[in-house]
Amino acid sequence: MNAGSKLTLDYFDNEASLIYGIGNIGRQDDGLGWEFIDWLETASVCTKAERVKFYQLNLEDADLISHQQRVLFVDASKEVSDERFRFYKAEQKMDFSFTSHDMSIETIMATCWQCFAKMPEVYVLAIKGYEWELQIGLTDEAKKNLRLASSYMQRGTSVAAPTTDDRLQYVIGGA
Amino acid sequence: MSRKLIIDPVTRIEGHGKVIIQLDDDNKVVDAKLLVVEFRGFEKFIQGHPYWEAPMLLQRICGICFVSHHLCGAKVLDDMIGVGYSTHNLITPTAEKMRRLGHYAQQLQSHATAYFYCIVPEMVLGMDAAPEKRNVLGLATANPELIKRVVMLRKWGQELIQAVLGKKMHGISSIPGGVNNNLTAEARDRFIKGDNSIPSIDQMLEYAMDGLELFYDFHEKNRAMVDGFGDAPALDMCLVDDNGDVDYYHGKMRIIDNDKKIVRELDYHDYLGHFSEATEEWSYMKFPFLKELGREKGSVRVGPLARVNVTKSYSTPLAQVALEKFHAYNKGKSSNKALHTNWARAIEILHSAELIKELLNDPDLQKDQLLVTATESMWTGEGVGVVEAPRGTLLHHYRANQEGNITFANLIVATTQNNQVMNRTVRSVAEEYLEGETEITEGMMNAIEVGIRAFDPCLSCATHALGEMPLEVTLLDAKGNQIDERRK
Repeated sequence: MNAGSKLTLDYFDNEASLIYGIGNIGRQDDGLGWEFIDWLETASVCTKAERVKFYQLNLEDADLISHQQRVLFVDASKEVSDERFRFYKAEQKMDFSFTSHDMSIETIMATCWQCFAKMPEVYVLAIKGYEWELQIGLTDEAKKNLRLASSYMQRGTSVAAPTTDDRLQYVIGGA
Repeated sequence: MSRKLIIDPVTRIEGHGKVIIQLDDDNKVVDAKLLVVEFRGFEKFIQGHPYWEAPMLLQRICGICFVSHHLCGAKVLDDMIGVGYSTHNLITPTAEKMRRLGHYAQQLQSHATAYFYCIVPEMVLGMDAAPEKRNVLGLATANPELIKRVVMLRKWGQELIQAVLGKKMHGISSIPGGVNNNLTAEARDRFIKGDNSIPSIDQMLEYAMDGLELFYDFHEKNRAMVDGFGDAPALDMCLVDDNGDVDYYHGKMRIIDNDKKIVRELDYHDYLGHFSEATEEWSYMKFPFLKELGREKGSVRVGPLARVNVTKSYSTPLAQVALEKFHAYNKGKSSNKALHTNWARAIEILHSAELIKELLNDPDLQKDQLLVTATESMWTGEGVGVVEAPRGTLLHHYRANQEGNITFANLIVATTQNNQVMNRTVRSVAEEYLEGETEITEGMMNAIEVGIRAFDPCLSCATHALGEMPLEVTLLDAKGNQIDERRK
């Protein structure tokens, strides 16, 4: 899939695809990634794709994505901008911004390549969140962003590769 | 002139710690403290909740050693309903073995994480390697085959946790009086033989042996440094069975001195009669100690090094050979050497894999006797649970009223037990690396971290707090003025 081409969720509706929701529903808007997966299930969208929900990425996720052709990561974003969500194709990068229980999407991709010599197409849907306290439930604005992102992904969108300047800051969904 | 330097990447510990080192007029170290400055208060907010929620909620203290909290809480609940160790009405063999299997699976993957993520990078890439390279991702670049094996060790452990506890994180299998599932024959065979997504248990044993060989190689090349770094004497404590061998799930609390003489041996239900906890205004983490000996002489070390010091033997062959080598090297005495903790951890990875292999071949795991049903008259309303978590001895203690709502909870986690000995280690390293210095260098910073990391501290557990994970080191002069500070 080249940057700029039209792409919908149908692209991931096959057994060679993985849709991975990152986050924690106990931390308000950090639950956006999981809520997106829940929406796929209730709306019967992308029923053929493997679906995963987890708090954060770990090293073994490099193995998980190595078995896929296409991966869509869905995560909440703290990005301070007017955008309500962003959808882009990710590129591998060993960024070394490392802890033992939180790794970036780009680093997981790089590890996948280093260890398994495989690289699926990886896309990221980052949905803007606002509140991150110990509380279950999205804020109203985050719910709105989730609806907009879901709708947009169903209609199809242009995919742009990220640049260094507009990379997202991912929320740590610690336990 | 005070200066603040920010260092990236963040340090490889779980939680937010700060080290303050005080120098006198001759730039000699007069004080060194590891401060933990987070607070969460799980013991308070669990009060009022139904007793059966406690293991489910309290395991959320941690995303790493949650199985230990889950099982510790489950043992408390067994006591409360009258089928625990305090009443001698025990849960079924299948239930206990399922819990043990989950426990060993967590120890395998947790130790593998701590060892390969936090420790091996320094062993393979060098203590002096650039910090941005001296981590597991640097290893992935330098030795992708090794990291491939680490990925598989973690994945295998996580998959087994899911098979036993129902979820990869924050499990749901242990209930008052037992467990809610056994291990199917299909799942058993998958872990024994492996499939296209996970290796076999024998491959796990091979990877565990490789990890131990890595330590032997490193030790051979760096014997003086490994044996001389961060010497911090303390009593050693862990759970043991009737033979005096470590039991990660249940046993008596045994405490030994450096000559391996038994100082105390107690039923953990009586811990309040033996232990007290000191507090310091500069830390949220308490300082447990044996009442009779006082804080200075009565502080204990827990975790891999303590367990390997205490245990007389292992029931599994490969780990037993490794243990004999460790005991012989230390000439029958307890080791106080901080970096020997990494040796002990590598041995325990192997021991865990062997214990898992034994249990996978135990037909009790496919039996249906999962639960002991308690009657209302058996209700005790109070319980204590202790397990050997990867980082050491973990204790939960709850009380509930007649309605079954929690009225009291106390948790003593391994990192809290190690608080005193970690502070001693920091001081020992500071004296060796910072004495006479007026500026903190990257090498000094890393030395302090290496000493702390040997304990694999989980400061979030210890204070029951969420937080990011920087380590700050502050250097004070004789008058208490800050002369340097670095932050990772």
